[in-house]
Amino acid sequence: MGTTHRKQLLSLSVNGEIYELAVECQETLLEVLRDRLGLTGTKEGCGTGECGSCTVLLDGEPILACLMLALDCENKEIETIEGLARGGRLTQIQESFLDKGGVQCGFCTPGMVMASTALLKRNPNPNREDVMESLEGHLCRCTGYNKIMESVLDAAKSCSEKG
Amino acid sequence: MGELDYVGKRIPRKDGPDKVTGRAVYTVDLQLKNMLVGRILRSPHAHARIVHIDTERALQVPGVKAIITGQDTLGIKHGFVETPRYPADQYVLAMDTVRFVGEEVAAVAATNLYAADEALRLIEVTYEPLPAVFDPEAAMLPGAPEIHSTHPKVKENLVNIGGKTTSQWGDVEAGFEEADHVREDRFESHLRTHGYLEPQVTVASYEQDGKLNVWTSSQGPFLKRAKLAKTLGLPFSSVRVQKAYVGGAFGGKIDLFSHEFCAAALSMKTARPVKITTTREEIFSAYRHGQPLIVTLRTGVKKDGTLVAQQIKTINNAGAYRSSGVVVIFLAWGFAMIPYRIPNLKYEGYSVYTNNSPRTPQRGHGAPQIRFAVESQLDMIAEDLGLDPIDIRMKNARNSGETLPNGDNVHNCGLKDCIRAIVEHTQFKTKFGRQPSGKEGRYRKGIGIGVSSYFGGSLIYPNSSSVSVKMNDDGSATLLTGALDIGQGAETIHSQIVAEELKIPMEEIQVVAADTETTPVDIGSWISGNAYVCGNATRVAAMDVRQQLFELAARELEANIEDLEVKDKAVYVKGSPSESLSYRELVALSILKRRGDPVIGNGHWRTMRDTPTHPSLATTKGRWSENYAFDAQTAEVEVDTETGKVRLLKAVTAHDCGFPINPMLVEGQIDGQVSMALGHAFMEEVMMERGRTLNPNWLDYRMPTIRSIAESEHLDVITEQYRIGEPYRTKEVGEGYVSAILAAIANAIYDAVGVRLFETPFTPEKILRGLGKIK
Repeated sequence: MGTTHRKQLLSLSVNGEIYELAVECQETLLEVLRDRLGLTGTKEGCGTGECGSCTVLLDGEPILACLMLALDCENKEIETIEGLARGGRLTQIQESFLDKGGVQCGFCTPGMVMASTALLKRNPNPNREDVMESLEGHLCRCTGYNKIMESVLDAAKSCSEKG
Repeated sequence: MGELDYVGKRIPRKDGPDKVTGRAVYTVDLQLKNMLVGRILRSPHAHARIVHIDTERALQVPGVKAIITGQDTLGIKHGFVETPRYPADQYVLAMDTVRFVGEEVAAVAATNLYAADEALRLIEVTYEPLPAVFDPEAAMLPGAPEIHSTHPKVKENLVNIGGKTTSQWGDVEAGFEEADHVREDRFESHLRTHGYLEPQVTVASYEQDGKLNVWTSSQGPFLKRAKLAKTLGLPFSSVRVQKAYVGGAFGGKIDLFSHEFCAAALSMKTARPVKITTTREEIFSAYRHGQPLIVTLRTGVKKDGTLVAQQIKTINNAGAYRSSGVVVIFLAWGFAMIPYRIPNLKYEGYSVYTNNSPRTPQRGHGAPQIRFAVESQLDMIAEDLGLDPIDIRMKNARNSGETLPNGDNVHNCGLKDCIRAIVEHTQFKTKFGRQPSGKEGRYRKGIGIGVSSYFGGSLIYPNSSSVSVKMNDDGSATLLTGALDIGQGAETIHSQIVAEELKIPMEEIQVVAADTETTPVDIGSWISGNAYVCGNATRVAAMDVRQQLFELAARELEANIEDLEVKDKAVYVKGSPSESLSYRELVALSILKRRGDPVIGNGHWRTMRDTPTHPSLATTKGRWSENYAFDAQTAEVEVDTETGKVRLLKAVTAHDCGFPINPMLVEGQIDGQVSMALGHAFMEEVMMERGRTLNPNWLDYRMPTIRSIAESEHLDVITEQYRIGEPYRTKEVGEGYVSAILAAIANAIYDAVGVRLFETPFTPEKILRGLGKIK
């Protein structure tokens, strides 16, 4: 039974803050973020890597937190949806999701926004194909993806205009 | 009066900032102090008698705090429909019989998930398996295993009939006599699921004072409260269902679910909060999916395409309990009778019990199934008679002001305008037909059309919406509404209405929503009436506030009320900008002169206010709605004749939603429905074998991704208007657009390659079989 597993110490860096934790070897990054750190912005839609809702950035790369063991995240920089808006100031991607109707029920939104953030960092001028490649692992049941596509392209355009 | 500043504008969602920052709290995110985790033991059998349940060993597991079985409940049944004719037929936990794989048998609360799962393994249930039946047509036949007795009012030699809908008008036999051409076809639809991203989840906390607090991922708190109170034997005053954000629902979270009852009962038993979160596998395997229909459609027409008679028989595979099975056979009738004039009609719908999981509404609730049949057959009839598919639709489409056979009026009906607009926009007539261009070679293109209509609100509990608008000292406002925003934007559009009526900026309107204790009752986010019913209640509440502000200002400014107007959070005398009082001043004045009254407005709305109740599900008699939306949709597809794969290249929706309160939200609804229909047409199917789900995950149940995005265009056909201070009749946009597009896709495939499909989904196998490339 789970409660008898031996725990290991883990130093986890999330959104620039260091958390010292004792975790069991089978605990996922998602469980640690949500259940231990209270960072519930990262969502669990399936728990088996099929929906993309739990996407966070690990050293800048989007990963599925439900499939990542927490202990494997030692010495890595994790960024979650809670870390984007610094001092309450939304990022351009967040703004564009609002302005272009990329959000409905919002459950897929944190994963979509994190993956889009990584995309625009890597490729500031993505085309539709680039957006599809970045977001095809993310399920959204509300929007039909049209306004999500529009949101990401708008964010890229606005960022390049602002220089 | 006045120009619109808020209604009709593309205003970003009120809840948007919370949602893009991860701050929005969904039920699945709730963590209460000292909370236990609950899990549910489910039947492995499709049909079995429960001989014995032994929970002793399970209770010994460290961390396990309570286990309940059916014997620990009050044995009160519940049902999606609870009427004298269709009484509740399902227990919250099985008592002596299980009737589907996944039926809830026991529930455990423990300090952690591992202990709860271990306890589930150790509960010993002795079953005596019974014969089971899964196919509805087999289940109807005498001699089939009986799941429940046939409904006593259905006096036919059939078994397992949970309910029947019959309706007729005119003389259908005489109609067929009169017809120049008659076709009979059979259409079948398949099992799909809702695919909401947030799982089914409930947190229940029974407090020391006897209050049960509940948060649950749902489509409206008031129905949940009623059903929880009933099954738990508690007064409404002891049950409080509160708002949390909802991660999608699409019809799948309306009714009471066993996990909601179990979380509550376990919390009452342990005096600790209990949370039950379902796994995705549980949702696929044991929860309620949509409702496939078998439709037999016989239609008679004159040579010129005029419809003269239609005979429709539907069979619904209802699953193990009645649930909404008797609703979908009523609705299938309704969605068949709205768009076209049919002078003589006979309808029979059967809802049949089988040993599958019970079914539930799914966006469109019967409309995709019936419109697929009607619109496909209409194209076939047009071809048989050498008529154009557009002409035959225009000939039979209803006009404004027509009365439907049930006595409802379609009022301003934009159906013909929708057809005209879409034909022009898509250049349908130049693309349709077997012309050589694009029709040769491996990839062939086609275009197809379908039309549909959807009702906007009916009389089902809680029937109506009430709203309060409170003014604050600084002139800002607080909106109290029972409406639950499930992603459609309820809080945003109702705020827009308050903003418009009172000319208060959106950001100065706070929303308190969906709490059975602190907000007034609401019709719910499932009967397609939220924008109309709750919206009008909101408008009336805001008008009440405005009237009170006018009365205060008229006295103070010595002006007539008719000469006053509102703008910029102030009341002005028209034409003399210097004579004004700000809302802040007026609220202070009200408190001073009206014994502390801070200005609170109330509004109520009920659709069909002179109609006592909903129409008869059995006879269709009685009014259904005062509000019908219409649409025409086209699909342009490309068929790969080598692989049989079809791509939806472009979907166009011409729609009469009255007027859009928020065009951006309306477009979002349409795009989402087009995408859902795309999944329906090509990708999604819950595969079941003897009641067991074979593909209980999103890898094997494929939903559309951004890769399958369809170009989706929208054409507004505006038939109504919003005028400040007057009732409005906007129409529904939340589920009417999943239907015609499905038929349009089928018709486009036929246009492309001449393969007529009678069953969904439109798989490559069916296309290749139609092309004669495989057997």
